Amino acid sequence: MKRLLAVALGILTAIGGFVDIGDLVTNALVGARFGLSLAWATLVGVVGICLYAEMSGRVAAVTGRGTFDLVRERLGPRAGLANLVASFLVTALTFGAEIGGVALALQLASDVNYLLWVPMVGLALWLVLWRVKFSVLENVFGLLGLALVVFGVAVWMLHPPWGDLAHQVVAPHKPAGEGLPTYFYYAIALFGAAMTPYEVFFFSSGAVEEHWSAKDIPIARVNVLLGFPLGGLLSLSIAASAALVLLPANVTVDSLGQVGLPVAIAAGKLALAATILGFVAATFGAALETGLSAGYTVAQYFGWQWGKYVRPRQAARFHLVLLLTLIAAVAVVLTTINPVTLTEYSVVFSAIALPLTYLPILVVANDPDYMGDRVNSRWVNALASVFLVVIVVASVAAIPLMIATKAGQ
Amino acid sequence: MSARRGPAGRGPAGREPAGRELFVHLHLLDRQVVDVDGRLVCKVDDLELAMDERGPYVTAILVGPRALGPRLGGRLGRWWAAIATRLLDPGRDPAPRRIDFAQVTDIGSAIKIARRTDELDIAPLEAWVDRHVIGRIPGSTHEGE
Repeated sequence: MKRLLAVALGILTAIGGFVDIGDLVTNALVGARFGLSLAWATLVGVVGICLYAEMSGRVAAVTGRGTFDLVRERLGPRAGLANLVASFLVTALTFGAEIGGVALALQLASDVNYLLWVPMVGLALWLVLWRVKFSVLENVFGLLGLALVVFGVAVWMLHPPWGDLAHQVVAPHKPAGEGLPTYFYYAIALFGAAMTPYEVFFFSSGAVEEHWSAKDIPIARVNVLLGFPLGGLLSLSIAASAALVLLPANVTVDSLGQVGLPVAIAAGKLALAATILGFVAATFGAALETGLSAGYTVAQYFGWQWGKYVRPRQAARFHLVLLLTLIAAVAVVLTTINPVTLTEYSVVFSAIALPLTYLPILVVANDPDYMGDRVNSRWVNALASVFLVVIVVASVAAIPLMIATKAGQ
Repeated sequence: MSARRGPAGRGPAGREPAGRELFVHLHLLDRQVVDVDGRLVCKVDDLELAMDERGPYVTAILVGPRALGPRLGGRLGRWWAAIATRLLDPGRDPAPRRIDFAQVTDIGSAIKIARRTDELDIAPLEAWVDRHVIGRIPGSTHEGE
């Protein structure tokens, strides 16, 4: 019974923890402009994250080593350092976007300008990172994030033409008013939002934090293979609600309020309250994950003691990196850059950085020296190789498309 | 290159067969070092080798920016090592910190050593950050999980 509860908790937190500011903004933005004609990009991204998160969790459970520990081992100090700089910057950028997201959600709830919330959000994040147990921070925000299920409820209450929606998903058709480069630029953004590298850093390092061993692999696999697809469904319902309400009204999404607008229209005030709670929980939880991930990557490259399973004094350099990254991320948001714009860039840069994380994981997951008989099966390798091609194509195409479309305008 | 773990008779007695063949790049360099309590110590930033009549063998794990700097190479590597020397160890012998290879008890996905990390004096930055920043914040000694 206790084991069943643990599995259920894991799945629920995986669903609630799947959606972050990148998923919220990108799905609503794309839904309002392209309907569900880009749903395939989210679906592909979800399959990819399932595949590689399972791999990184398995590697961590078998070897006890976090992802970046192995990145340096496989790439050597020089290429590893270049990878560290890029991965750290993308993660820190995402961290800033999440902090801005929490502040925007609090602005929605309070009518107090988000810039006033930013320092308080920063302080709250630091207190949680400093004092709260890993298992608590992982579970509480994941569960509260489930409030975003109201997006699914809203889609249901809008009585959509289901056949038409399904047709848009299975037979994608670019809307007439949009250019092909823009269409693919947003496909890459959705892909990046679903596969953000920090999710893998966090998942693998979390496995080490919670002292997983090989016997935990089946539970981890269930969490990933059920939780992430259901989280992906949540992402799709955000896009669908925008497609049903905002697209016909010609509303473009440039604030978090517009992301929640379809819920307010379809399901009323209480549902809107749940939406805002979900926004706060999902972005705050993701801010904790990205902040920790930034610290994990640096500490694992240099071999420092890291993690919340030891006292802060026993991982002093790790906690210093956390603190400095937090201060820098808060400072970036306080420049008054629009957090929604920051989010859009963070998901595209995530897509660009994907091969840096995913290639080393694939290599190590195939190394019997580390993995023994837990190496990838043949079909996992076949699928992962196909994905690696997709990841590289998306990564290479992202910058030219960003320039050609002026970042999707 | 490959290097023996130690010439016959000089390996850590009873723990590993002395003279195991290792591939330095594959099994040692850049691998995580873990202490006797399971705490993370450092990465193998570089290795100290010695020669005898049977070829080269490993005598110590070298740790820290002055070991890593030369392996990074170029201006960045020199800068890396120089800054560490200036800031952390002014006036000290500029040789990198070392862990004697006789302390190594196991070479797997991590390299285990027989000592505790706080006995080793290999991480001056950790000590400085602990003393001046993290140790001064209230709650810094509360239990982990």
